[in-house]
Amino acid sequence: MPSNAAYDRMFRTALLIRRVEEKIIEIYPADKIQSPVHLSIGQEAVSVGLCEALERQDLIFGTYRSHALYIACGGDLTQMFAELMGRIGGVSKGKAGSMHLTYPARGFMGSSAVVASHLPHAVGSALAAKLRGTNQVALCVFGDGSLEEGVAHETFNFAALRALPVLFVCENNTLAVHTSIRDRQAFSIQKMAELYGIPYARIDAGYDFMEVQRVAASCAASIRAGGGPQFLEIATYRAKEHVGTGEDFGFGYRDRAAYDAWCAKDPLITDQASVAAMIDAIDAEIAAAVVAAEASPAPGLDELLTDVI
Amino acid sequence: MTSATPEIVSYANALLETMDGALGASPNTVILGQGADDFKGIFGSTTGLAVKYGKDRVSDMPLMEEGMTGIAVGLALNGVYPILTHIRSDFVLLSANQIINLIAKYKYMFGGLFELPMLIRTVVGRSWGQGAQHSQSLQSLFAHIPGLTVIAPSSAQTVLDTYPYLTSTFRGPVISFEHRMLYSLDFEVDRTPLANPLAPRLIRSGSDLTIVATSIMVLEAKRAARWLEEHAGITCDVIDLHCLTNIDPTLILTSLKKTGRLVVADTSWPAFGTAAEVCRLVVQADPTLLKAPVRSLGMAPAPCPTAKALEDLYYPNLGTVVDAAASLVRGRADHGVPLPAEKTMSDIYKKFRGPF
Repeated sequence: MPSNAAYDRMFRTALLIRRVEEKIIEIYPADKIQSPVHLSIGQEAVSVGLCEALERQDLIFGTYRSHALYIACGGDLTQMFAELMGRIGGVSKGKAGSMHLTYPARGFMGSSAVVASHLPHAVGSALAAKLRGTNQVALCVFGDGSLEEGVAHETFNFAALRALPVLFVCENNTLAVHTSIRDRQAFSIQKMAELYGIPYARIDAGYDFMEVQRVAASCAASIRAGGGPQFLEIATYRAKEHVGTGEDFGFGYRDRAAYDAWCAKDPLITDQASVAAMIDAIDAEIAAAVVAAEASPAPGLDELLTDVI
Repeated sequence: MTSATPEIVSYANALLETMDGALGASPNTVILGQGADDFKGIFGSTTGLAVKYGKDRVSDMPLMEEGMTGIAVGLALNGVYPILTHIRSDFVLLSANQIINLIAKYKYMFGGLFELPMLIRTVVGRSWGQGAQHSQSLQSLFAHIPGLTVIAPSSAQTVLDTYPYLTSTFRGPVISFEHRMLYSLDFEVDRTPLANPLAPRLIRSGSDLTIVATSIMVLEAKRAARWLEEHAGITCDVIDLHCLTNIDPTLILTSLKKTGRLVVADTSWPAFGTAAEVCRLVVQADPTLLKAPVRSLGMAPAPCPTAKALEDLYYPNLGTVVDAAASLVRGRADHGVPLPAEKTMSDIYKKFRGPF
C-alpha cells in the first residue's frame, strides 16, 4: 500500500464517507431521517479524488446522490446529519434534506434531484468565472443517465463553443435506478464528448482516489490554463439500491458477482491496516455529529414561509 | 403649472433605455438570448447594446432555452445578473424545468443560502396569424409557482419604473411578459420613482365599475372606460394589476367598496388564470363587496387559430370589454349602450400608436 500523506488524507475522507453512510443505514430504521437517501457507498473515491484535485475557490455541482461530494469538499458533519434529520441546524435548515446538500463555504453550490438539470448551472458558473476573470474551475458531477437528457447536449455544446472552464465528470455506475446503460444508450460516451471537441479521459479504477485525483488535477490544470472544458468518465459502482439503505441483488437486474469483484479492489476493504488506524476516531467524530444534530430542534412555523421570494 | 408637454416614450424605447441602464450600472449585468446582439435587437429593445458593451455582455445564444436558463442560474449564483430574452413566450416552456424545478426553489430549498436575482423577458405574440405556438400568454402558469415573481408591464411607464428596480435592487427571479403589440406604441411617462414598483396601479378613477386588467388589456380597459363615460355616463376604476404574484388586494378591495362590480380583463385564458386569482382574493377578503356577478375576459378556451376571421373572434376587444361592463352596470344584456364598431385591436393599433 502507498503510504504518503495524500493517500492517508484521501483514505480517511473516503472512509469517513463510508462510515457516515453506514451510520445512516444503522439509524434509518428508527425514522430519524424521514426522507429518501441515495447512498454513495462504492462511489466514495470519485468525490474524494475530485475534491482533492480542486482549489479552494473552485465551484462544485452535484446530484441527489451527493453525500460523498458534501463530505469530500469539507462539509460539516453535524450540519449534514441535522439536514438529513430535518433540523434547523442543518446546512439548509432542514429544507433540503439528503437530495439537496450544498456547502457554499467550500464552493458546493447546488445538488439537484432532477437528472442533468445542474449541468448548465456549472457551465453558467464557468461563464461567470470567465467574465469576471476569477480563474475558478467549475466541477460538474453527474451520473451516466444524465447523458441521455437533452440539456446535456445544450450544455456541452455551449461549454465547448465558449471554451469555458468546466470539468464534466460522469460517475458511470451503469445504472439508472434499475436500468442498465446497455438498455439506455445507443451512443458511446467518449464519442459524445469528442463530438463537441471536449477532451475526454476515462478512469476504470473508480475506486482508486489517487488515480482520480491525478487525472482530475491534470484536467483542472489544463482548464485553468485556458484550455476549455474537459470530460472525465469514471467507472464506479453503486453498492446499494437506487434509493434507500438496502441491497438489491437478487431482484434479477444485476449480479452480485460484479459487486464482489469491485469489493476485491476497493481500498476501503483491502487496506485494513489503514481502516484499523483510522476507524475509531472517525466513528467517534460521526457519533458526536449525530448527537449534536439530534440536539438541534425542528424548524418552526416561522420557517415555513421564509426564503420563498 | 407643471410642464404642459409630458414626456413621450415608446414601449420598445423604454425597454432599450432600461437594458442600457442595467448594463451601464453594473459590469456584472449581462443579456443572453437568441438574437440579442443582432440588427433587430429583440424588436428594438437591445439594439446597439452589443456594440456598446461587447458581445460577452450582450450575447447571442444557440437554440438552448433550458440550457440558457440553467446558465443563468450559474451566473446568478456567482454575482452576475442575467437578463434572458425570448422572442416568443411559447419558447419559455422549453426552459420550464429550470424555471419551475430549479429557479423557483433555489433559495427556499437550500434554506436561504443562495439567491437567484435575474430577469427573464418574454414577448407575447398576437395578430397577423401568430397561430397556436407564437401567441400564448403564459403568465398564470408561472404565477402559480411559489418563488417566482411574474409581471406583465402594460406601458412604457411600467417598464421604466419597474425594470431598473428589478435589475438593481430586487433579489429574486422575475419573469416579464411583454406584449409584442405594445412595442410600437407611445406612452406618456412620469419619472417620479415609486415606493413599490410591483404594486397594482389605479390608472383611471370612476364609481360604477372596477376593471382589473393586465398587459395590453390595460389599454383596452382604458379605452373602454373612456367610451363608457362618453357614451353612457358610466365611470370606471381601471386597475393595472402589473404584477401577478403576491398581489396586494387592497387597491382592488377599496375600489370594489365603491363600485361593487368587477370585470377582469387578461391577455390569457380565464380558467385558472388572472381572473380566477383576482376573484379568489376578493371573495376570500369580503364576498359581500360584489353587487353583481364578476365578468372575466380573456382568450377563448382554445389554442389560438391562425385564420384572421377566427383570430378576431378569439381575443377580447374594445367591444367585448364595453359590452361586459355595460351589462354589468345596467344589470341586463340589452343595456342600450352603443358598442364600438372595431373588430380587432391589432388593426386599431397599427393606425393609432398613442400616446397612451
